Amino acid sequence: MKRRKLLQMLAAGAAFYGPWKVHHAWAQAGQKKPLVIGLTMDASGQYGASGMDERLGAMLAIREFNEKGGVLGRRIEALHMDTETTPATASRVAERMITRNEAAFLIGSLHSGVANAISQVAQKYGTVFFNTNSSSPTESGRDCHRVKFVWDGNGTNFNHAIVKNAMRVNGKNWLLLTNDYVWGHQTSKSTRSLVEANGGKVMEELMVPQNTRDFSSFLLKIQQIKPNVIAAAVGGDDIKALRQQVVQTKLDRAYAWINNQQDWPDVYGLGPDAVFGVFGTTWYYRLDLPGVKEFVAKYQKTFPGVQIKVPGNVFLNGYLATRELLRVVEETGTTNNLAVIKKLEGRKMSARDRMQHHDAWIDPATHQVQQTIYMASYNDKPAEADDIFKILANVPPQDVVDADAPKACKLETYEATPSHEA
Amino acid sequence: MEFVGNLLPHLLNGVSLGLLFALIALGFMLIVGVMEVINLAHGSLFALGAYVCIFLLSQKFPFYAAILLAPLLVALVGMVLEVCLRRTYGKDALYGLLLTFGAALVIEEIIRLAWGSGEKQLLPPPELSGAMMVGGLIYAKYRLYASFAAVILILSLYLFLEKTPYGAMIKAGAHDSEMVRALGINLTRLRLFVFALGTALAAAAGIVLAPIWGVRPHMGVDAVVPAFLIIVLGGVGSFWGAVLAGIMVGVVVGVTGAYASEWSLMSMYLLLIALVTFRARGLFGKKTALEA
Repeated sequence: MKRRKLLQMLAAGAAFYGPWKVHHAWAQAGQKKPLVIGLTMDASGQYGASGMDERLGAMLAIREFNEKGGVLGRRIEALHMDTETTPATASRVAERMITRNEAAFLIGSLHSGVANAISQVAQKYGTVFFNTNSSSPTESGRDCHRVKFVWDGNGTNFNHAIVKNAMRVNGKNWLLLTNDYVWGHQTSKSTRSLVEANGGKVMEELMVPQNTRDFSSFLLKIQQIKPNVIAAAVGGDDIKALRQQVVQTKLDRAYAWINNQQDWPDVYGLGPDAVFGVFGTTWYYRLDLPGVKEFVAKYQKTFPGVQIKVPGNVFLNGYLATRELLRVVEETGTTNNLAVIKKLEGRKMSARDRMQHHDAWIDPATHQVQQTIYMASYNDKPAEADDIFKILANVPPQDVVDADAPKACKLETYEATPSHEA
Repeated sequence: MEFVGNLLPHLLNGVSLGLLFALIALGFMLIVGVMEVINLAHGSLFALGAYVCIFLLSQKFPFYAAILLAPLLVALVGMVLEVCLRRTYGKDALYGLLLTFGAALVIEEIIRLAWGSGEKQLLPPPELSGAMMVGGLIYAKYRLYASFAAVILILSLYLFLEKTPYGAMIKAGAHDSEMVRALGINLTRLRLFVFALGTALAAAAGIVLAPIWGVRPHMGVDAVVPAFLIIVLGGVGSFWGAVLAGIMVGVVVGVTGAYASEWSLMSMYLLLIALVTFRARGLFGKKTALEA
């Protein structure tokens, strides 16, 4: 056989084998019923932008598994319905996904009222639900459920990381700016208790109704009260409008601002001026840790057309939660909900795997992921246009534990949780 | 006395906010008053105005040229919408509602496709930006300029409707369209013009409000609800009713924002309920369309 002929045959063989390897896995996966994962994520309303971001995260994890042949030899199908940042819609969506679309698992949530609504439906059917990004302390406290796992840091975790230091640096007279729903209430409650426990005083708490677009009266009132520190628990489109209006009035320079948690999609695109004060987050795309650069590159390659050019905490939570769920299903060898729940309870996740500074784990008593909390502020020396955060400190999870959560959380027993296999 | 001193800035802020609310409602009022069409696409056209302005600025148009040109371009979209609406004239009002609702969704999705779902910024030029001291309190300069722009637009529209022959035709069209047609006035063209004008006003409001509210595809939802409420509150078709209702809503929202903040958004609905309970036609509902 001539050398050229041999090379041609080898090339043809390689050309066939490459796709065959993939298609073989697909073919095997295709023989079994697909595993349906319901993505209960907002595409509209106050958290519409963040909902779309976490959906991309979940989709990336699903894509990675499907490229490997799915999970348990089954192709994974993602089913998304808009929960509209509305608890009533979220209940309907969850009910429909479970009963009509046979979703084996539900993933996604930003608004704590929405997360609570979904989890009640999920518990009724025993469907495992991952609350990816809503961070009211009640989610792993009084509203916890056996089927629900909470992936974000909560308001109390962030407060532990921020409040004491802010009191020392900025003063003891605080004003709370509270989004008027469960996350805002619970986060401000936690802020108040920490401020008062450390000898400070809450001068006033201003409730901000959801979908507030004009903050002028709030900003005038703040000036009349003259606090040392303003602690905002305001999220979604509301915080975007607030930030813009604070900058317009230059009040960012006149007062010390604390924003409990700053989600990346809520600040991306507002311009560097709109980033002010000190705030908490669970991740930043320029953390100097193994795997971060590669992850950012993968995001940019996978989603070249998206407006948010670098991934943030909301995207990462969507990705990590989905990936961990699929890993657990693979390891357990079954989609049985109780087996999956037991495998998740107490599960340890390495810092390297999650691209954070400290190891994380799932608290078996509350089902909340205990993870690194970062304190951040505006970056006055950005390395590039998107480099708008300066990470001030990383706090290990054991230092920011929400001690009240296990007392408030009463998980249903395994027996009281319907068992099913998808 | 101290209470009054503290209240005063909130009252003034409420008036300023109210003028902006009135501006949002103006185009909506014009189309409802003259054409008896509830234009549910008003909010999306409001958003489109802001986006088109941002686009023009990105194409290196000077700021003041962009804010003048953008409403005209959006008016063209309004004209297309009016042509689509023609088949619904004289039929059940539900047809017009459904069509404009569909148009609202289409425009919002076009915005998403063209500019993405994320946040955009429309920054005012430096001479309109920054803060100023009013009675010892810091206030955004831009808000005063925005209120001033609202006053200019309100007065211009009023003068146009009252002092020009075309304004007279529009008002006559609102009263009795058949008679206007019988007098030889081209009603089709008149309606097209009114729709374009209402649309341009929606876009202008979107541009004025963009630096305050921020720019996102669904920002129109934040505009269409207060606009609808203001029209009902002021009395459908009443020019000054809409202006006064806008100011009332602004004052109520502004003052409750300061003293009972959790009620600040709800307050406008409570105001509507309270007023409509005693005067179902709204403030100036007795007078028919555009009789200022």
